Amino acid sequence: MSLRKKESLYGYLFILPVLIIIGIFMIYPIIMTFWYSFTDYDGTAQSKFDMLFVPEDALQFHFGEFIDDLRAEDASRLEKIFDSVLLIEMDIGVKLSEEQKSGFSNEYFNIEKIVDDFLNRNLAEQITVKEFLEKYVEGKGRGLIYYKPKFTGLDNLSKAFKDPYFWTSLKNSVMFSLIVVPFQTLLALLLAVAANQKIWGQKFFKTTFFIPSVTSSAAISMIFSLIYTKPGILNQIIGITGMPPVDWLNDPNTALGAVMAMNIWTTAGYFMVTYLAGLQQIPASIIQAAQIDGASPARIFWKIIVPLLKNQTVYIVTMGIISTLQVFDQIYMLIKNLRNVTLSFYIYKNAFEYGDMGYASALGVVLFALVFLITFIFKRIYREERVVEEVKR
Amino acid sequence: MMKKREISKTLMYAVLVIYAVVSLFPFVWSLLISFTPMTFKDAQGIERGVDIMQWPPEIDFFELPPHFFGAPATAENYREVFNIAPYGRWILNTLIYSALVTFANLIFDGLAGYAFARLRFKGRDTIFGFIMATMMVPFPAIIVPTYLLISNMGLINTFSGLVLPKLSLVFGIFLMRQFFLNLSMEIEEAAIIDGASIPRRAFSIMFPMAKPAFIALGIYTFLNTWNDFMWPLIVTSKKEMFTLTIGLNFFKGSFFTVWPYMMAATMLMTAPMIILYFVSQKYFLEVNVSSGVKG
Repeated sequence: MSLRKKESLYGYLFILPVLIIIGIFMIYPIIMTFWYSFTDYDGTAQSKFDMLFVPEDALQFHFGEFIDDLRAEDASRLEKIFDSVLLIEMDIGVKLSEEQKSGFSNEYFNIEKIVDDFLNRNLAEQITVKEFLEKYVEGKGRGLIYYKPKFTGLDNLSKAFKDPYFWTSLKNSVMFSLIVVPFQTLLALLLAVAANQKIWGQKFFKTTFFIPSVTSSAAISMIFSLIYTKPGILNQIIGITGMPPVDWLNDPNTALGAVMAMNIWTTAGYFMVTYLAGLQQIPASIIQAAQIDGASPARIFWKIIVPLLKNQTVYIVTMGIISTLQVFDQIYMLIKNLRNVTLSFYIYKNAFEYGDMGYASALGVVLFALVFLITFIFKRIYREERVVEEVKR
Repeated sequence: MMKKREISKTLMYAVLVIYAVVSLFPFVWSLLISFTPMTFKDAQGIERGVDIMQWPPEIDFFELPPHFFGAPATAENYREVFNIAPYGRWILNTLIYSALVTFANLIFDGLAGYAFARLRFKGRDTIFGFIMATMMVPFPAIIVPTYLLISNMGLINTFSGLVLPKLSLVFGIFLMRQFFLNLSMEIEEAAIIDGASIPRRAFSIMFPMAKPAFIALGIYTFLNTWNDFMWPLIVTSKKEMFTLTIGLNFFKGSFFTVWPYMMAATMLMTAPMIILYFVSQKYFLEVNVSSGVKG
């Protein structure tokens, strides 16, 4: 084999594991999110046959007799009183749809086999309802064991249009991004510029500002939920100015703002380090030359430093947009009012608390679109600005 | 002119000091609360309550034991955290989860990063560009199918279920590729002339040279998995399978929260990461900076 061919072979071999992982846990879920968004995927219906039970116990209830009192001769008598739908709904305790009722009726149930297994004591082990049905349901009923969502077209989207909580959560997500991203970026830049002087303790500041970003958002949320309580420290400090105490997290007017402030606090230090590294690459001679020419500090900052940090700014703003639009942990930990949640949280709520996974997927598609749209707009503005600058030159 | 610069320098310094206080204060304050009892007996033997909201807090480091919020410091809250919750189990779960994810990422991201940087094959840059584009995909948007996938495999409440979707991080691939791109070509070219095979070049020459990058990726992945929230929240429902971030909710009472316990639990999960950060600071900065430069 030629060296060239070997190189390709190993190339594909080395990226194969990553391609498989990304294929299964990234590409497949993306496709399925789109597919589910057109269906009525019901999380509770999907999992209702996952329940564990002991068939022998259920059948003893069903026949009203103890297995110890029964003999092989009783088989034909038991077969006559057996009713599969009653067994599933009453004795096992799983509600069936009309379609499932007809599919799992005596007609499609292997009654002989189940009574036989029962009398031979083959059913004393715990199994799931799904496994049980797979064993005894035959013919057209089999297809009904496995949950299949119904295609409902654009129903989820029209539902979203009419759902006030969807609009509120969408607005909250956008607001979160539009407020947090500029603040964290500017604060990071300010701190980086301040730290980029020949000053004592530069390393100390760098280290300190970074600490919030290595702490989990769950832990930070708990610390801030104490700071934000009504008798808490924040109210005591601002109380000095005579302001009345505010119940920051429980008041729907302040809750989201309080979480935003916390978010800025968590990330500004991290991005400050990114900016600082960029600043340190700017040769001092450029700044000195500008100073000799008599440029004011403000002019140096806006006309020289900020343009030279463009790479960092693009990175920080893009990452900021992506992470703020999917903010979840802090909302889950701190927000109690559904009026203050973000789109990510509303997706979670619909999927895992209401079981409406089809609708949650449709909201997921909206979240996709939102991230792409805002990132795209930002990239567009940035590119235009660059073009304008080049023309000026 | 000189004076103006002095003023601006002082102003900048003030900004830094204020922000350092703002950054540190919540941690220091929580740490103090975590050592504060809820009640204590004063000199007269009378049981007294403690006000942890006290401001400014009454702190005395020179007594023995030191007094916070007017009460003698105690480690009792930390012991209690292990008594009222399976906290030891949660630490173990989080360690296993983080270690497995880190280990997998080192192997998979390392291999892929090397291939994308150093081997030539058809479609390489297209595939890489495609993988990078998935970085924009918000996890909450694909959470439903990911959950159903793991749930249908019967992996809810298992380590496999926790770990599987996290085996490779797009950011990790990016980081490793970046590092291999920056390594000098000379050594590898010498190996090619010597007739070394590709696995030999990768495993005995390039990977050892990439040790700092592997350490940086390892620390970054470990920290992120340790702090992970949304995925463990969805995959674990049994208390025995919780990770630390999910377990924290356990200390939140429905009517009122015992803050000293909560803060002890918070400090216990935060301290290892802050220590990890202190001892390996340069690697943290490396990840941060190398991701920022290329935009």
